[in-house]
Amino acid sequence: MTVVPTVALTGVTKRFRGTAALDDVHLTLGPGITGLLGPNGAGKTTLLRITATVLTPGAGEVVLFGTRPAGPEQLAAVRRRLGYLPQEMGHPRGFTGFGFVDYMAVLKEWTDRAARHAEVRRVLELVDLDGVAARRVSALSGGQRRRLGLAQALLGDPDLLLLDEPTTGVDPGQRVTLRQVLSRAGERSTVLLSTHQTEDVAALCDRVVVLDGGRVRFDGAVADLVATAAGRVWLADAPDPAARASWRTGTGRHRVVGQAAPAGAEPAEPTLEDAYLLLLGERARTTGVAA
Amino acid sequence: MSTSTGGWHADEDLLSRYVRGDAGPVAAASLEQHLLRCASCRDRIAAHVPVPLLDAAWERVRDEAVAGRPRRLERLLVRLGVPAPDALLVATAPSLRTSWLVGLVVTLVFVGLGAAYGGDRGLTFFLLVAPLVPVAGVAFAYGPDADPSHEAALATPYPATRLLLLRTAAVLAASLPPVLLAALLVPALSWTAVAWLLPALSLTAALLAASTWVRPTVTAAALGAGWTAAVTSASRAADPTAVLAPALLVAYAVLGCLALLVLALRSRSLTTLGSPS
Repeated sequence: MTVVPTVALTGVTKRFRGTAALDDVHLTLGPGITGLLGPNGAGKTTLLRITATVLTPGAGEVVLFGTRPAGPEQLAAVRRRLGYLPQEMGHPRGFTGFGFVDYMAVLKEWTDRAARHAEVRRVLELVDLDGVAARRVSALSGGQRRRLGLAQALLGDPDLLLLDEPTTGVDPGQRVTLRQVLSRAGERSTVLLSTHQTEDVAALCDRVVVLDGGRVRFDGAVADLVATAAGRVWLADAPDPAARASWRTGTGRHRVVGQAAPAGAEPAEPTLEDAYLLLLGERARTTGVAA
Repeated sequence: MSTSTGGWHADEDLLSRYVRGDAGPVAAASLEQHLLRCASCRDRIAAHVPVPLLDAAWERVRDEAVAGRPRRLERLLVRLGVPAPDALLVATAPSLRTSWLVGLVVTLVFVGLGAAYGGDRGLTFFLLVAPLVPVAGVAFAYGPDADPSHEAALATPYPATRLLLLRTAAVLAASLPPVLLAALLVPALSWTAVAWLLPALSLTAALLAASTWVRPTVTAAALGAGWTAAVTSASRAADPTAVLAPALLVAYAVLGCLALLVLALRSRSLTTLGSPS
C-alpha cells in the first residue's frame, strides 16, 4: 500500500522583488516532528507560509494530504486538517485569552458553542494557560501570548501542525511543557517546527532540514547532522582564531569548532549547534543561532 | 443557628421531587428551611442531584466568565437573527467597535452642521467626507491592518470572501444611516442628498476589488486622494455638486458593477497573503 505523504513540495520557488526566498525546494513530510533550521532570511517563514497555504509559490507544486489545494473546496478541506502558528501572531483588541481562542475556533468551523468551548478549554489546559484564560490578551506576557498562539494552532488536533518559532519568549519551564505537548502531537501528526533554538530541535525532532539562501542544505536525521561534526569539536585552554567558532565556556576552557585541532586540545562530544555552525560556516555566525 | 430537627427527616421521594422542581412551593420552602439545619438531609440530597447536568451548568458559567462579555454589536446582531458565530466574527472588526462608531457620529454632526451653515465650503466638505465614510470603515474591517491575527485566520477553512462581505455589509449598515441623517442638514444638496450614496457604494466596491491585490488601507488612501482631488476640483470650478452630475452617476454605477465582477473573479486572492510582509 502506498502511503500518501502529508506534505510533498516539488521544485517550490518563491521570489520577492527578484530575490529568491525559496529556490527549487523539494521536501516530503510524514508523521513525526521535523525541525527547520536556518539563519534569518534563509526562507523558513516563506516555506511555512507556502505549506500553510497562505502564500502561493511562484513555481513548483505543493501537495498536501495527496491534494493540490487549487480550488476553494480543496483549499478548505486541507485547511480543516492543519494548524498554523505564524511567526508574528497578533491578537484583535479586547479579547480575553479564552475569547481569542474561541474566535479562532469559530474560524475553524466549530459552530456548536458547547463543543467549541470544551475544545478551547482543552487546548488552553494543554499549553498551561487555563489559569489566565479570563485575562485580557494585552495583559499577558510575551511567552503567554506565544502559548496562546500555539493553543489556537492545536484546536481540533490537526493532522499537520506548522509552527514558526513557537518557543520565542517562553521561559525554560514552559518550554519543557511545550516540548511535552509537541512530542505528543508528533506521535500522530506531522509537525514542522521552524526555530532558531537548536536545543529544541535536538530534544524534539527525529529529522532536521537546514535552509540557507532559500535552498535545502541538509535534510536528514538529527543524529546524522550531529555526526558531521564528529572529530571537529574540541576543548582547549585558549581560543583558536583560525577555528570556525571558539568561545570560553563556564568551566573556563574554550570550546573550539573547526577543521583542525588546536595544540593541546582534547576532543569533545559534538552537538547539533556545532554541526549547524560547521554546515553554514560564516553565515551561521553572522546571523546567529540562539544557544 | 439551631441544629435541632425535632427527629424528622425528609424522605427520599420528597428530596427527589425537590431536585426535579416538582415538590411544590410549600413543601420546597419547608424543605429548604429544614436543609439549613440538617446535615444528614443535605448529604442525602446530594445523591439526587444529576452531576453531569450540574457540571455542564458550571462549565457554561465558567466559560461565560472567562470568554468576556460579548460586544454590543455582537449581541445586537444575534438579536437581529445573525448566527452567533458570524456575529462574533463580524463584531471583531475595529471599524465596528463602539469607539469607532461614536467617533463617526461626532464627525458627522460637525460635517453636517458645517454643510448647513458653511455655504459652499461646508457643502464641499460634506461631499468630501460622506462617500469616504464607508470606504474607511471597510478598510479597517478586514486585512492585516485591521486584524493582527489575519495570517493565522487565513489558514482556517472559513471563507475569506464571506468574512469580507459580512463585515462590509455590517459597516454599510452601521455607517450609512448616520451619514444620511447628516445629509438632511444640508439644504443645498436638495435631491442630491442621497445621490452621494452612488459614489460611496462604487468606491466601496472598488476597494473590495482592489483588496484582491493590495491591502485595503492602501487602496482606501488612494481612493480617498482621488475623490478629494475630484471634489476639490469641482469646488474650484464653482459647483462642488458637479461630482454628482447624471453622467458621472452612471459612470459610478458602471464602475461599481465592474468592481464587483473583479471581486468575484479574483476572490481566490483573498485566501492568501497579497504581498510579503
